[in-house]
Amino acid sequence: MKKTTGNNLRLGLFVTVTVILFIVGIYYIGDRQQLFSHTFHVSGVFKNIDGLQVGSNVRYSGINVGVVGSIQQTTDSSVRVDMLINEGTRKFIKTDACAIIGSDGLMGNKIISLIPGISSAKTICNHDEVKTIRPISMDDIMLKVKTTADNAADISADLAVIMDNITQGKGTIGKLFMDSSFATNLDKTLINIKQGSGGFKRNMDAASHNFLLRGFLKKKHKDDK
Amino acid sequence: MINNEEITTNGSIFPLGWLDSLRVFFIEVGEISRFTLRFFKEVFIPRYEFKALVKQSYIIGYKSLPLIAITGLIIGLVLTIQARPTMAQFGAESWIPSMVSISIIREMGPVMVAVIFAGKVGSGIGAELASMKVTEQIDAMEVSGINPFKYLVVTRVMATTLMLPMLVTAADAISLVGAYVGVNLKGSISFHLFFLQVFSNLSFSDVIPAIIKTFFFGFSIGIVSCYKGYNANRGTEGVGEAANSAVVIGSLLVFIIDMIAVQLTSLIY
Repeated sequence: MKKTTGNNLRLGLFVTVTVILFIVGIYYIGDRQQLFSHTFHVSGVFKNIDGLQVGSNVRYSGINVGVVGSIQQTTDSSVRVDMLINEGTRKFIKTDACAIIGSDGLMGNKIISLIPGISSAKTICNHDEVKTIRPISMDDIMLKVKTTADNAADISADLAVIMDNITQGKGTIGKLFMDSSFATNLDKTLINIKQGSGGFKRNMDAASHNFLLRGFLKKKHKDDK
Repeated sequence: MINNEEITTNGSIFPLGWLDSLRVFFIEVGEISRFTLRFFKEVFIPRYEFKALVKQSYIIGYKSLPLIAITGLIIGLVLTIQARPTMAQFGAESWIPSMVSISIIREMGPVMVAVIFAGKVGSGIGAELASMKVTEQIDAMEVSGINPFKYLVVTRVMATTLMLPMLVTAADAISLVGAYVGVNLKGSISFHLFFLQVFSNLSFSDVIPAIIKTFFFGFSIGIVSCYKGYNANRGTEGVGEAANSAVVIGSLLVFIIDMIAVQLTSLIY
């Protein structure tokens, strides 16, 4: 009899503990989905929800404050997303807050981020609609990447032509690099300029000692001082 | 119970052809179906054997807990250790708690526990009932006015059906503790943050179908084991055969039910 009671006690303990574990697990999952807390509804209309799902997180200033309650296609180009937000955070969310769809990390799930408005605005009410910002989709990024890649391809093709011309000695830069007679002429020109400037200096020294120009040069020297 | 062998008049045993084996298979399926129907008929008719049910629940459920707990702990630990190198390659180590918890709760926990349960409990029930059958204890119960089906089969099947979900719940919880230890072997994460990450990606669609299917696992293991034991013959040889086939068919049924459950879950959610 004593043994049976002991066995029953152990069995009862086992059953109770596992049932409590199950209930706690269910509570935590439900709590994350705002099932057991006071919530209010906020909605936003998006053109493209980019794979957002019912149950996705809603963040306000980076804090999880709610979940997506429902998603409805309202017109051919707009989707209404209803969010369940924790009642405790209502006082911080203003009517001019904006909603944007982003992702949780590089590979994470889609989330809605509520961007705070100015603090002087009115506090948001139940069933209010917030403004939405069109998210930058992967397609947009890919389109820009494609345009950049096309431009880069054009530039590299032009550069190839220029380099080809240079190696063939075409154009000024081509001649500079490839034509040896051009370099010789340039060298001679530089020598001539050097000799010319030396002669010019001597002429100017002689002119400064000439009585016709002495008055003018003295006045110029005085003005410079 | 029909075997895949036939005994001739001079006592020698020879195997049946494939057509006969197919016939035997269908007869066996029919007999198990009849056995299951009888279970549902008997389970609702008084008198209810509550004391025997509690006793069986203790033996089947509570006494399986240490084995299930050790297995659960190892599953969680090993799954985490194995997942880490691949996740680290993607720089996604912070996703290990979420990934491991979903794997354990949706699939690994229920199936691994059910297979171990089929091995431990299924063989036990099969051997126990078979030995009672071959020693004519079941016949004696009938003679003394006790309904052996209600006392032996209904209580055991009820106990396996009710206890397996509880064992799976306990094993899931212990596996998550194992996963926490696994994460902390090469990294560092607080207990609180670990469980926040575990629950952050779990939803009802992960937990509820996983628990519902364990009722079916428990029921199928119980009914097959009882059927094999209750219909055992050929003396002590039949006892071993009943225990063996209870484990094999029970384990196979677990995987078949799991496959159906996964398909149904993906249709609903």
